[in-house]
Amino acid sequence: MERLLPQSEREEGVFEVTIDAADVTISKEVLYRALGYSDNRIDPHFKDIVDHVLAGIHDLCAVRAGYRVLDAHVKADRGEGLVVGRTFITTGCTIAGQLKNAEKAALFLCTIGPGMEAWSRRLFREGDPVRGHFVDTAASLAAEKAAAVLHDHIGLVMAGGGLKVTNRFSPGYCGWPVADQRRLFSFFPENFCGISLTESALMVPVKSVSGMIGIGAHAMRENYSCERCSRKECTASRAYKNSAPT
Amino acid sequence: MNELVETIGRCVERGKINKASPFPGDMKGLDGADELTHQALEAGTDAEAILQACIAAMVRIGEKFGRNEVFVPEMLMAAKAMKAVTEHLKPFFQSGSVQAKGTFIIGTVAGDLHDIGKNLVSMFVEGNGWNVVDLGVDVKPEKFIDAIRKQPKCVVGLSALLTTTIVSMSKTVQEIRALFPSINIVVGGAPLTMEIAKEMGANGYARDPQGAVRWLAAIREAS
Ligand code: B1M
Repeated sequence: MERLLPQSEREEGVFEVTIDAADVTISKEVLYRALGYSDNRIDPHFKDIVDHVLAGIHDLCAVRAGYRVLDAHVKADRGEGLVVGRTFITTGCTIAGQLKNAEKAALFLCTIGPGMEAWSRRLFREGDPVRGHFVDTAASLAAEKAAAVLHDHIGLVMAGGGLKVTNRFSPGYCGWPVADQRRLFSFFPENFCGISLTESALMVPVKSVSGMIGIGAHAMRENYSCERCSRKECTASRAYKNSAPT
Repeated sequence: MNELVETIGRCVERGKINKASPFPGDMKGLDGADELTHQALEAGTDAEAILQACIAAMVRIGEKFGRNEVFVPEMLMAAKAMKAVTEHLKPFFQSGSVQAKGTFIIGTVAGDLHDIGKNLVSMFVEGNGWNVVDLGVDVKPEKFIDAIRKQPKCVVGLSALLTTTIVSMSKTVQEIRALFPSINIVVGGAPLTMEIAKEMGANGYARDPQGAVRWLAAIREAS
């Protein structure tokens, strides 16, 4: 369900969006599938754990999300990335290709906070690894859902100005190096949305997502071009290929 | 094989920890690995026979996992059932009548905070008869080195989840190698491949916990 969410300007052009924990709840079926049980054939004990974990999400997810919109264009002579503001970002050809119609780009960050992570860790420590694993998986799904909700919100804000948005892309996917996280973070105030980067470009809290969305009059959300990518280990690609009609 | 020992193995494979455990649904209310191991030892069953049956059970569940017939939760339940058995076998390990396959020191490398994958490997390797020393996450090379000094015959496992932490993993391998040239090191985690593992000087790469167990079995056989 797409709806415009409340947002406030933290500093010039940098917006923080209010996303409620209820907006990132996930269904049992989605969690079953993420745990491997795609046909819903799951032991009753595991079903009970799923119910317990999903009941806890609301209290433990403290979602924070924000974005910044800048002018952007793919330079014809440098097809492996795009210029955002005054910075050249080496996204790789795949993402640059998908953003070729973009006139602007929204850089974004979002997190569900440290609560779920801490819960999972505690369960492992206390000798309940199954529940700990379920909590961790649910937290990952909630973080991805937060990114999806933010994406929809940015789409609606842009639609207000007659613009459309592309898919969202993240450092670490489709050939965009994870090391570029540092460049992406440089567009935001320090500790924006409570997210910081470690020396090795890891976001803390762990259940966080960063990325970029193209914006333009002719921008489009289209299929990811996973069929052209050879990275067998990418789960996003595997999920895409498995769901693609044959 | 003694029928009771076989049933203990089945409990481990199915993840039936004890009578109170509601998992798996079709074994609800039955005795589990905990009660049956107690009964078997009381009846004078050889501890080594129990251990071997359970290790075989862990291999079977690992194979099912490799074939996507079961998933991480079933593996974790099996590892917990195995732990219930090894609790009873502790006195036999201490007396030396039953022996661990070796010591496996594992940790997520410095700069990386991911622990779920590493925990799974750790539990599964332990369930396969190894003594595991889990150093946690964000482990600096010095901490690995200190642990190796205490267990010089150990095998080392390193985990990482992002390409950016592979740099830290390489550094850890190099620092360990400089002091312990012949130590066996296996690496794993989502961004790794066999080629990357070789480049950084690790002896092996494991894609999943089962792969780590297979690799450990192979180096044990070779030594
Ligand atoms: C010693 O011997 C051994 C042997 C085997 C060993 C071992 C040691 N250690 C591990 N293993 C192995 O056995 C375990 C059990 O099977 C496995 O351990 P894992 O820890 O891998 O497995 C866990 C039990 C379950 N697996 C997971 O929890 C990770 C699954 C995937 C899909 C994934 C998820 C869910 C998430 N992520 Co993201 N994520 C991916 C993952 C893709 C994948 N194929 O794994 C990966 C790891 N992520 C990636 C990226 C890029 C990112 N993620 C991010 C975010 C997220 C979510 C928050 C949405 C979520 C949670 C992340 C988390 N770690 O908690 C970001 C980083 C987050 C941060 N804190 O910095 C972000 C940087 C994206 C962004 N810009 O926002 C990719 C890394 C690629 C790279 N180049 O480094 C990635 C491989 C996806 C891809 N592109 O294919 C094996 O790896």
